[in-house]
Amino acid sequence: MSTPPNQQRREESAGLMEYSTESLVPFGPIHPALKEPEYFKLVLEGERIVNVIPRIGYVHRGLEKAAESRPWVQNMYMFERTCGICSFVHSLCYSQAVEELTMYQVPRRAKYIRTIIAEMERIHSHLLWVGLMGHWAGFDTLFMWVWNDREVVLDLVEAISGNRVHKSMNAFCGVRKDMPENMEDRIIERMKFLTDRARYYREVIDTEETMLKRTENIGRVSADTVEKLCAVGPMARYVGFKRDVRLNDPYAAYDEVPLDVITTTQGDVHALLRLRLDELVASANMVAYAVKNLPDGPIRVKIPPIIPAGEHSSHCEAPRGEIFYFVKSSGGRTPDRVKSRQPTMANLPTALELLKGQTLADIPIVLTAIDPCFGCMDRMSFYDTETNKRWTWSGEELRQYGINYYFPERAKKKSGIKKAIGPPTNQYPREEF
Amino acid sequence: MSETLAQLGKYAEEVGTKVTPLRKNESTIEVSQDRLKAFVAHLVNDLHVRHLMTITGLDLGQNLGIIYHFSMERDTIHVRTTVPKAKPEAVSIIDTVPGAILYEMELHDMFGIEFIGNPWKDQKLLLPEEWPADLPPPLLKTTKADQIRRRLGLEAAKP
Repeated sequence: MSTPPNQQRREESAGLMEYSTESLVPFGPIHPALKEPEYFKLVLEGERIVNVIPRIGYVHRGLEKAAESRPWVQNMYMFERTCGICSFVHSLCYSQAVEELTMYQVPRRAKYIRTIIAEMERIHSHLLWVGLMGHWAGFDTLFMWVWNDREVVLDLVEAISGNRVHKSMNAFCGVRKDMPENMEDRIIERMKFLTDRARYYREVIDTEETMLKRTENIGRVSADTVEKLCAVGPMARYVGFKRDVRLNDPYAAYDEVPLDVITTTQGDVHALLRLRLDELVASANMVAYAVKNLPDGPIRVKIPPIIPAGEHSSHCEAPRGEIFYFVKSSGGRTPDRVKSRQPTMANLPTALELLKGQTLADIPIVLTAIDPCFGCMDRMSFYDTETNKRWTWSGEELRQYGINYYFPERAKKKSGIKKAIGPPTNQYPREEF
Repeated sequence: MSETLAQLGKYAEEVGTKVTPLRKNESTIEVSQDRLKAFVAHLVNDLHVRHLMTITGLDLGQNLGIIYHFSMERDTIHVRTTVPKAKPEAVSIIDTVPGAILYEMELHDMFGIEFIGNPWKDQKLLLPEEWPADLPPPLLKTTKADQIRRRLGLEAAKP
């Protein structure tokens, strides 16, 4: 017998009240794309968020189980499909863990090529994120500019590896493809262009009213909380921790390429924007250095398909923070156990901490600020503990609510972006390689 | 060997275990379940090794292995412990490392290990809520993918 709707609603409300003692935080470790299924339950008091209950696992594909029945090499390309943005660093981390088990060394040239691809990936991931922040803040012009610039670096990745996102560049103890000839000047020129643009965007976010109003003093958290909750990557660096795997435990060619680790102590979403744009400049410099100083030699060493027994772990700095792989071999053709941990999993407890005390209008900004692999805010359900009201918004409605909350005059006018700073004058010509 | 590792080696000897270096900057320590909580507290509070990277579960036949991966500057420290498969109960470390809460829940889903002291230990994190109670945890070696597929009625999805 079905429950009458009214009673059912009451029961659901009762359930939510129990949640306000923070009893449920489910989250999936795999984040394949930005628009992915994700469901949050928010407990509000008037405008303020008192609790957040995310529900995820919709896209958990059981990669760790699947890895146990697949050959070592096949797993590398499977783990690359973990994420649709920072794909290369997953295969890099997995192959580094496996390489530790073998007696073979990675050639120096391959290490440099890995560094170049990993840094280009960081540039495109950060640009994607800056664009999304613009979109959620109600500054879609920034989104258009930044995503247009992202094509510049994606074209380079495509010219080197043949693919835009899933590069499939890695092989055990090396890389599959060598750098194309006569690319050096083109890469350096484009990195200089991206550096200029990143500086320009820094100017935009520091002067444009839209971005300042939406990001300054939003999402504050103490350094102690961040340390206790074991946050990684930019989420640790924006409160002043110098936590960067490239610096702490250098892999690939990071011990030879000059590295600039950016930290801030400002500790709000605006600091995250600055930090990521500064990191973008640092990455562009590293790519330019690595391309100029690319050593000669072989790009890979062939290794037998059977990996000796043993256990090893490896960690790398993905654009979103540290990723971690643990590999156990019993000397067979397939691994005994592979464990992978993604940065969003490590940053989620911090994100929930950031959301508490913010207003409803800040949800998109704060959730996007940790650079999660979930931009899809669809199917948000709200519950007001003061009025016992309950409603559901789509992501677009929530975005519009946030914009109208901060800029009520825009609700009347169709477009109202004040041009404090003009559009960029230099456009990079798109060209075919 | 860094200073932290030297101090850790001294403390490990006191509690009757030892630090085994794996490779440069990486070492592993076997700790029994009853000593684990004090050991982790010493590691975090006295030696300031604060960053827990993740917790890995292992199916070792008769036992289940749990590895806590800590990192500090250049050092990676793996703290290993085992629990019997017949009674998979482990102590929770979230009062010393609050960031471990989701990792412990993940292990509960995937290996069926109960973390005593974790307030969310009975909640599902990754598995669907309708996961049947008679299905064993998915990452155990004895659980086969076919078995899960058949029980969940997913044969049609098989190619």
